[in-house]
Amino acid sequence: MSATRGRHVEVTQASGYWVGRFAAMASPCEVLCEAPNRAQALALTKIAAAEAWRIEDRFSRYRAGNVIDRINTAAGAAVSVDAETAQLIDFSRTLYELSHGKFDVTSGVLRRVWVFDGSDNIPDAAAVQSVMPYVGWQRVSWQSPTLQMPAGMQIDLGGIGKEYAVDRAAELLRQASDLSCLVNLGGDLVVTRQPRFRDCWSVGIESTAAQVSLPASLLKLKVGALATSGDARRYLLKGKRRYSHILDPKTGWPVPNAPRSVTVAADTCTQAGMLSTLAMLEGDAAEAFLAAQGVQYWCDRGSEFVLDV
Amino acid sequence: MANDKTPIVAALAAATCALLGSSLPDPVQAQEEPKWDFNTALLYYGEDNDRVQDLSLNILARRNFVDDRFLTAGLTVDALTGASPNGALPQSVAQTFTQPSGGRTYTISPEEIPTDDTFRDSRVAVNVNWQQPLGRLYQLNVGASASAEYDYVHTGLNARISRDFNQKNTTLSAGLALARDTLDPVGGVPLALTPMRLADRGDDDDDEGGGGMSANGWSSKESKDVLDVVFGLTQVVSRNFLFQANYSFSDASGYLNDPYKILSVVDGVTGDAVPLVPDPVFDGPSHLYLYEHRPDERVKHSLYLQGKYNMAGKVLDLSYRYMSDDWEIDSHTLEARYRWPVGRSSYLEPHLRYYTQTEASFYTPSIVDGAPLPGYASADYRLGNFDAFTVGLKYGWTTNSGNDASVRLELYQQLGDIPSQQLIGNQLGRDNYPDLNAIILQFGYRFGL
Repeated sequence: MSATRGRHVEVTQASGYWVGRFAAMASPCEVLCEAPNRAQALALTKIAAAEAWRIEDRFSRYRAGNVIDRINTAAGAAVSVDAETAQLIDFSRTLYELSHGKFDVTSGVLRRVWVFDGSDNIPDAAAVQSVMPYVGWQRVSWQSPTLQMPAGMQIDLGGIGKEYAVDRAAELLRQASDLSCLVNLGGDLVVTRQPRFRDCWSVGIESTAAQVSLPASLLKLKVGALATSGDARRYLLKGKRRYSHILDPKTGWPVPNAPRSVTVAADTCTQAGMLSTLAMLEGDAAEAFLAAQGVQYWCDRGSEFVLDV
Repeated sequence: MANDKTPIVAALAAATCALLGSSLPDPVQAQEEPKWDFNTALLYYGEDNDRVQDLSLNILARRNFVDDRFLTAGLTVDALTGASPNGALPQSVAQTFTQPSGGRTYTISPEEIPTDDTFRDSRVAVNVNWQQPLGRLYQLNVGASASAEYDYVHTGLNARISRDFNQKNTTLSAGLALARDTLDPVGGVPLALTPMRLADRGDDDDDEGGGGMSANGWSSKESKDVLDVVFGLTQVVSRNFLFQANYSFSDASGYLNDPYKILSVVDGVTGDAVPLVPDPVFDGPSHLYLYEHRPDERVKHSLYLQGKYNMAGKVLDLSYRYMSDDWEIDSHTLEARYRWPVGRSSYLEPHLRYYTQTEASFYTPSIVDGAPLPGYASADYRLGNFDAFTVGLKYGWTTNSGNDASVRLELYQQLGDIPSQQLIGNQLGRDNYPDLNAIILQFGYRFGL
């Protein structure tokens, strides 16, 4: 399979720690660890990479033959799924409820009409309306472990998969080693344990306003997770209006006034990722939503970070 | 859009728990790195025998920008009190002097080294520096400084450029600093080698009579210009050894006298100060004293060598400085610090320093009455032969909030030596050099915002 090409890990030494690198889920990934030698660093990186690749293979909607493909090609038939998939679907149903319908794993079909490539190709309202009948979790029948939905609908666990993979990989590293590791899959990351030989791991948050010489915000992470939702590179621009890639499944249109990116710190990457995604879906109210959750967050609206702890 | 504002964190945590099939890991501990780094210190410097006391507050703020660019800004506020030796020799009789302001006199008991206790000052100093890389190998640092006290204003500009070689293991640097200092002494700038003025109560000096010695011919302001050039080499010799060498050149020109320093005029046989007949109208000095006179240029060369050894976390820092100037002062400074980690987050750092200097060519404890006046003369103890020792101990620790705190205690002793051939008659039996003992206590605190 073409996507499994280039599946290898490499390890290099940095000052006081090791860095293992690999690619998964179309993102650069790394494992930083306080390992005493290359062999241990390589072994730990392999554990994380294998888990990331396993989850990618199982839940990517681009893989023919996996459970997501079976569901999406069932053409209205009921599909029975395994326990892990069932847990993920349960989780996404909970998110749908908690977000009052804004987080919806069936909204992926909107991308047939919305292509976020930085251009001004805004689809017309009729095109958006034409796919709306295939969007909406309320149309899905889910009785774990059986899922059934109308033909033409699809589910996409891409909004959960990466954060889930980070947490799963982190748990495997915790079981395998007492060393402090930082697992980073494309910017969503977990520090497994408090480091022993350093005070903390330093993590940079990119500002999208790169033309301004703002200081890169650096976070000191002792333990826990950070996840970022953002559209730094994925948007449409028409006139002066910027359309974020965050689509509201209830309207089929981008959420107005969504922040450019939201970073949240939480105990797990899944929690951090869901809170940052839901904040983006709140548009104008992103900061108010995050403040109400009582979490640490960094909200970038293009001009300046709004920091609140 | 109707939106329930109830927080969802608890429900999300429960759902995440169910998804991951495990208890949740340790709670997150994340903190934003501060953008400003503040290094603050409160320092007390106190000399014995009611001499100079200084309370100094120092704040250095550093702001990090992307791409290794830094802005630093410093503020120092000093409050100084106490007495300072005025240059006159101790006598077997009491001595009376006119205060620098010309308003009053003060009297010193027999056998005591005369000090002027009207010394009281506050000082504010600021500096700003900008540092940034120029290309991949060069670093540029430019800055400005200014300070003000009631009789002294300093302004300065500086620039330094450095270049890395040899995979950043070698750095060469060159720096230039220019300063213009203006002196506005209380009571005016005295004429060099003229007798100490009478105390005319500070009145304007258009009166006839006994105020003749007052401000006539005195200027109110003087200035000096200082040029400093530094060339430096920093070499990383090994993972544990860093070596640094600097050569610096300094040229000061302009008014280099201390307007408050005088010399005793003494009898060529007894060595005792020449007494004066009291003025019928004004109080004034009891003996004959002349204001000092130094050359109007001073060129210094100095060489500084430093090595830092890291021995498994224990850091030994040794340095040596040699300075030589055209006033014929040569000095040597040897300094050692040893940083000794105690536990995980604290350290002890003993400090030893030895300093020795030769006297200036025009240093003299006194001027002989009737002999031709020397071209230059100063009895300032800081221009004489002396040795100085510093012994100190610093304790530093990381606070619970992750900031650095330290306390430092140091003892300083300065022991002077006036060669016996420079002493005359009764001077030989006296303690002429104002030896000095001082204590330094400093609290440091470093934090980010």
